[in-house]
Amino acid sequence: MRFLFCAQVFAIALFGFALIPNATPQEQLFSQVRPAMGTTFTIFVYATNQERASEYFEIAFDEIERVEEALSDYRPTSELSRINRLAANETVTTDPEVFKFLQTSMEFSRRSGGAFDITVGPLMRAWGFFRGKGHYPTAEELLNARKSTGWEHVQLDPQKRTVHFDIEGMSLDPGGIGKGYVVERVVDLLREAGAKTALIDAGSSTIYAMGAPPGKIGWTIQVPRPGDRTHSISSVVLRDTSLSTSGNYEKFFTLNGKIYCHIMDPRSGEPVQGTMQTTVITPNATDSDALSLIMFVMGPEKSEKLLDEIPGTSGMWVLGEPQKSNVIQWHWPGTSATSLPNILPTNPQIAIMKEEQQ
Amino acid sequence: MINRRQFIGKAAGAIAAASTLNSVGALSAFGESRRVPPSDQINLGIIGPGSRGQTDILAFLRVPGVRIAAMCDVYEPRFDQVRKITGEQIPAFKDYRQLLDLKGLDAVIVATPPCFHEEHVVATVQSGRHVYAEKDMALTVDACDRIVAAVKRSGKFYQIGTQYHYAPWYQEALRRIHSGKLGEVTHIYAYWHRNSNWRRPVPDPKDAALEQLINWRLYKKCSGGLLCELGTHEANFANYAFNAIPESVMGMGDIVYWKDGREVPDNVQAIFRYPGGRTFSFSSITTNRFEGEQIRVYGTGGTLVLTQAGGMAYYEPAVANSAVPQALIVEHGVTTGASFAAEIPYNGAGEALVAPEGLEGNVNYLAMSSFIDCLRNNKRPAADERAGWNSGVTIALGNLAISSGQRINFADHIKPQAS
Repeated sequence: MRFLFCAQVFAIALFGFALIPNATPQEQLFSQVRPAMGTTFTIFVYATNQERASEYFEIAFDEIERVEEALSDYRPTSELSRINRLAANETVTTDPEVFKFLQTSMEFSRRSGGAFDITVGPLMRAWGFFRGKGHYPTAEELLNARKSTGWEHVQLDPQKRTVHFDIEGMSLDPGGIGKGYVVERVVDLLREAGAKTALIDAGSSTIYAMGAPPGKIGWTIQVPRPGDRTHSISSVVLRDTSLSTSGNYEKFFTLNGKIYCHIMDPRSGEPVQGTMQTTVITPNATDSDALSLIMFVMGPEKSEKLLDEIPGTSGMWVLGEPQKSNVIQWHWPGTSATSLPNILPTNPQIAIMKEEQQ
Repeated sequence: MINRRQFIGKAAGAIAAASTLNSVGALSAFGESRRVPPSDQINLGIIGPGSRGQTDILAFLRVPGVRIAAMCDVYEPRFDQVRKITGEQIPAFKDYRQLLDLKGLDAVIVATPPCFHEEHVVATVQSGRHVYAEKDMALTVDACDRIVAAVKRSGKFYQIGTQYHYAPWYQEALRRIHSGKLGEVTHIYAYWHRNSNWRRPVPDPKDAALEQLINWRLYKKCSGGLLCELGTHEANFANYAFNAIPESVMGMGDIVYWKDGREVPDNVQAIFRYPGGRTFSFSSITTNRFEGEQIRVYGTGGTLVLTQAGGMAYYEPAVANSAVPQALIVEHGVTTGASFAAEIPYNGAGEALVAPEGLEGNVNYLAMSSFIDCLRNNKRPAADERAGWNSGVTIALGNLAISSGQRINFADHIKPQAS
């Protein structure tokens, strides 16, 4: 076991920052918020004037829309939906971008032993989390969903750039990696366009910190206690790196006092129990999105090897139940987590409701 | 000399005959065979792989057996961008004539600004290649005429990049309109509203030439502005819905908010009058996106609402028009109560326009795969040069109305033979 409880009061996670200067004092901070991918994307960018900022927003949100149109499983017109409809019956040729996205997803499935699996779509439907708030499936629903799940049944042919499902009923769900991918794309485009200092926030679950605000060494991110954004349990300063968080409190239902969240363990076919929140820091946004999910599904001990393989990676878990929880920080560069048992609400939904009323 | 009434009738008739979606034209009129040589692979060249061109590339690469084999752009950073997309070291040229000199290209994507479409499309078809040309066909009626003439002379296929032409819900909407299910369609309102400056970042903002190259949409030299870049899709739909091109147009446009050196209006409104007094109204603004992009088709029997993602039909409640037994009213009387909400806009439960089986996918993919299917099977594209000409002259004269402040009669500007 190499879990470290970081003692430092304040630290910074950074990646290659020496190459990129801070925002200049002449630049102002601008922001724009737009709905996308079933959440809200917020982009903060330093620019010399509003006109320049608007140009950045234009390319960023155009790219978000473009990627959503390619990868959303909620849009029947998307390329991913076309693959979902056809790939069990025929071999589907797709474009290099979507193909590479699928290859990346399959690679995370392989490396995580199936803890990460974008074929989780049938399970999400069976548990009522696709366009719904969840419900307990019947035994038959669950059996059928499990029969149609499994990344090993996705056949990718790099030579022909084709996708084929070798069983019926499969459905790709990019929910564990798609937002990270679009953040990565936006970061690339903003850099190409000349932006040096920006924060790209995909519904708060994946955040990329580019450069540093004037006079700062990076962007400060607060990691909230599960289900309560008003209380931070750790702060971390990021520069040219990505952070992602997965939690059991945004989409869930309770039955007989037990919380069933939308994060599935594809191997068991059931929602993950015993983990409330995971947060990861790693240089690439696609990786961070997938890794926070893998950490959530696999837990600290089994995630360590995978996290260790990716330089610049650190993580934090909040485990247990709202009334009795513990925090594990692994190479975590932020502040030590504050004690949780005394401050956690008894029901995470109460905390969410309170926030909405403010 | 043909008079206006005679001409509009002829033009509208010709267009009506030619403009049913998915109709197949008389191939014999084109002389030589257009078939692509039998091959598993279709090799495409692209002239102008900017942002839209790169979207085209991705969509074409979803079609089995398609390869991007060459590219041309005057802005060299595009070369690496395209190679990154395709993963291939594709030959790149700064002069499109070098691309057209290559052997083995089956067709060429023309995705340059519309001011160059005539030059690039005409050269492409004259080189013996089929062409997928981004919209708008061209900025002037004369240029549209010359493109159509060149395509006809060449015997090659031309498909215009109005990809919504291939959207299943657009086709279903047209089916309902033409079958009379919407009653008599009298008005179409279309919006494309955004809240952004429509600018692209320029690596060196002080480089005026580079600014005009990257942001060509904002300058009159190369751009038809919002009406051209966005309204072409809607104009194409209106032409097919009314089975005609407009008779006249009035329009306005100005720079009211984004006073940043641009030359084209940051908002435009145009009203096109079709035969019988039917109208198509288009609005595009860049300061509010509440309406987004949508087309509303108003018929005496119902309304269609089309967006980029799908369509809905709302049917008007039945209007009672039968004789009422007088005794009922006289003997029983009329019942009082809370006031009716008769004038509240009707938009009860709508009916989704469902895509037919087998027509799934993004509209770009549907348009591109249809083009490739036409090449492989010697079929005329549905959105061919006639569709391109129809929407092209509609927009060209709409912009003339905006710039001149005058009502423009189409018959004053269109040569009968062009249709």
